[in-house]
Amino acid sequence: MEFLSQAKKFGVRSLLLQGLTFLSVLTSAFMIWKGLSLFTNSESPVVVVLSGSMKPAYDRGDILFLHNGFSPIEVGEVVVYKLNDKPIPIVHRVMKVHTENESGEQYLLTKGDYNNADDRGLYSPGQMWIQRDEIIGRVKGFVPYAGMGTIWMNDYPHLKLVLLGTLCILSLFSND
Amino acid sequence: MYNFLQRLGGITSFAMSTLMALFILISLTTPFIPSNPTHEVTLHDVRTTTGRMVDPADRASRSAEYARLTFDIDADLTSMFNWNTKLLFAYITADYESPGFDTNRIVVWDRIIRNKRQAKLRLRKHHNKYFLRNYAKTFKDVSNANLTLHINPVPYLGIMYDKPMVTIPLAIPRAEKAKA
Repeated sequence: MEFLSQAKKFGVRSLLLQGLTFLSVLTSAFMIWKGLSLFTNSESPVVVVLSGSMKPAYDRGDILFLHNGFSPIEVGEVVVYKLNDKPIPIVHRVMKVHTENESGEQYLLTKGDYNNADDRGLYSPGQMWIQRDEIIGRVKGFVPYAGMGTIWMNDYPHLKLVLLGTLCILSLFSND
Repeated sequence: MYNFLQRLGGITSFAMSTLMALFILISLTTPFIPSNPTHEVTLHDVRTTTGRMVDPADRASRSAEYARLTFDIDADLTSMFNWNTKLLFAYITADYESPGFDTNRIVVWDRIIRNKRQAKLRLRKHHNKYFLRNYAKTFKDVSNANLTLHINPVPYLGIMYDKPMVTIPLAIPRAEKAKA
């Protein structure tokens, strides 16, 4: 309604300019995200905690800032790892580290603070240790509860549609 | 003038910026809050056994050497609780060098300390919570072994950091049956 009448007034050029501005905002956001991934050497430098297995330190809905870097993993660090054939990342603490001299290969065992048993039950069958390249990053900082929105979106997919719908309706009826 | 939504948008964006600035300030200043904890670890005994199934998750455990430690801990960590401390994670690691592996670190004991009342530790003759075995099946030619107590304060919000506290030497004997 408003949008169409404005478009007729200013012409195609102004529409294209608006489209370009919108695209450049999107791509800058994407570049910042990918630049952060490169800097931290981590495929996903900001994650949301999905399970309660690190209670009471980290609970569902906390946002973690990861930095992977290139140095060997130290024992006691809380790391996020993703097994090569499983899709979900897991946040647990490293309990055992064995580092080989020549290859620098590391053998790591992890365990969640809230669990009694270590993670060997979660690893792939027959896998006793995880390797350095399965680690997405070490937890360097965190903000509690800030990720609850993501958890709600995951648990109640209808919420995404409701949110999108509300945004569309609001933008159609706004005056500027 | 401005309508309701515009005012709401303005307030929200200002609140977000202020919160972000606050989070950054808190994260940067928390590690510098001073504390003076006291800590002492005394090792009484190390026994190594082999020949029996110890760890059900580890199929090789019957032939591997497992060490069992007996130790005391005396620590007063109450000064490490500041306004931004959610909990303290105290853990003891056994570090050693072995042929082919120049770093081996294994957490043998840990405890979560949630408040000042629990922060005065006085443990007598405790054993390791977690199995202590080498990556190889034996402790042969293991050298430079020591036990280190670490404290990892977890803040309510901010940067994580770790403080190694005290290191004492550890000697892991070979098991009687496996001496080779």
